[in-house]
Amino acid sequence: MAYSQDKNGESPGEIRTFRMTRITSRSDLFPRLVSMQKIINARHFAVFRISGGGLPSKRKLVCELENWGPSNITASQMFVEAYGDALIDHMEKSLLPLMWNGRDEASIAETSDLDMFTVRLKGRLLPFSGVAFPVRLGAVGNGYTMFTSNYIDLASDALVDLHGKSCHIMMDLLSLDERRAVPAETLSEREVACLQLAGDGRISDEIADKLGLSVHTVNAYLGSATIKLDSVNRIQAIAKAIRLGYIS
Amino acid sequence: MEVETLQSDIALKGRPFVGSGPLSKAMSREQLIGRLARLAGSNHLPAGMAALTEYVGASHYLLARYDLVQEQGLEFVVSSNWPFDLVRRLSVDLASLYSRSTELEKCLSILQPSFALLPDDVELPAGVSQQYCSLTFNVGRTRLSLMLLFADGIILSQDRLRDVGLFAGYYSSFARARDQKAERDFDLTERELECLFWIAEGKTSDEIAMILGISRNTINNYITSVMRKTATKTRSEAIAYAVRNNLV
Repeated sequence: MAYSQDKNGESPGEIRTFRMTRITSRSDLFPRLVSMQKIINARHFAVFRISGGGLPSKRKLVCELENWGPSNITASQMFVEAYGDALIDHMEKSLLPLMWNGRDEASIAETSDLDMFTVRLKGRLLPFSGVAFPVRLGAVGNGYTMFTSNYIDLASDALVDLHGKSCHIMMDLLSLDERRAVPAETLSEREVACLQLAGDGRISDEIADKLGLSVHTVNAYLGSATIKLDSVNRIQAIAKAIRLGYIS
Repeated sequence: MEVETLQSDIALKGRPFVGSGPLSKAMSREQLIGRLARLAGSNHLPAGMAALTEYVGASHYLLARYDLVQEQGLEFVVSSNWPFDLVRRLSVDLASLYSRSTELEKCLSILQPSFALLPDDVELPAGVSQQYCSLTFNVGRTRLSLMLLFADGIILSQDRLRDVGLFAGYYSSFARARDQKAERDFDLTERELECLFWIAEGKTSDEIAMILGISRNTINNYITSVMRKTATKTRSEAIAYAVRNNLV
């Protein structure tokens, strides 16, 4: 369960090399997605993420990256209408890849030996067949990478390769977001300490006692942290601080 | 003895463990898939974990509910063939390790094999390395970690570790589909979750009353009830709890 900071060991596999190259923008993900698409001879790829955590009714699928292009401008919308709810629901309970058949008789997605390890969506709803790999990272950054075509044949090599790479894509997307979401000023050590204790259920008096400060100072720290985190009160600040990883 | 400080990348260095030693005779991915598919119908988690352990060339597995590890007791163990004393000894270290990494770090380490050393004072089965490997993955809201013990001197293959992480997730997805009850939903009602969601967004009771069209006292009752159910003392702590457990 150890979280390893160490990423610079010699790399016996592709997994490591991916993590070592730090990407700087979303455009860096395109060539990787295209090469993944080629593995199963798909026409297009798309990356969707689930936004608006919390209540199931508030969640929705948002398209983050795709190469459906201008000729398929409605593809993303069609997809969400057809399968959005199914994908959101699936994310809550399973890690198994999803497959679906297209509207056309010949437009199918199949797998020879992996029927047990994939879940079928209701077919014949879209002009293309496809496969979607769920990636559940945790509190944030969950979503799917998917590949669509007229015909998809998924072998076990491609399955593990693509699903593994899908995880890296989603992690890289998340780390890009986080770098952008860094507050204008970073939180000071004291502010982090106060937030942490407040999140642990301590009231200002107790925090002051524990840190050897006056109550007013503690409230000031919590106040400045709230401003830096662009929040309206300390509760929202605590929620954001956890999501951004300042406190645990 | 801190587990964390002893992390190393010994297992990543040296010769890659391919085509030499016991693994050359080891099962292929197709054999693994076949075995898991046969087991999947039987609801037998240990047999599946044993197959994965064998595939990667490890000797013992421990599948843990990483999200429950903070709590007292050994309830976090889902399935294991580690020596009992070792599990009990390690649970303390795991809890502190868990609380020291942030949610974001956890999100960014999904399916990344990481290596750490077991404490010095534990008695290991003969020939087993002091080092263990762990892989985390999520199935729905459940964060699981698969921890592997392996023989001294063995280098685990990165590719096989990736396969094992994915297939452990797939296999757990079967188990989950059958056993929905295992998911502890903290018994919060839809209304209570709704209140939590808005509080985390920084809304006051008055504002939530306006949004939901119910009285402020009702909102406060919901929140009191959330605090009782989650055993938290303040609103801040209740929100922190909700964010940590992916409830909002």
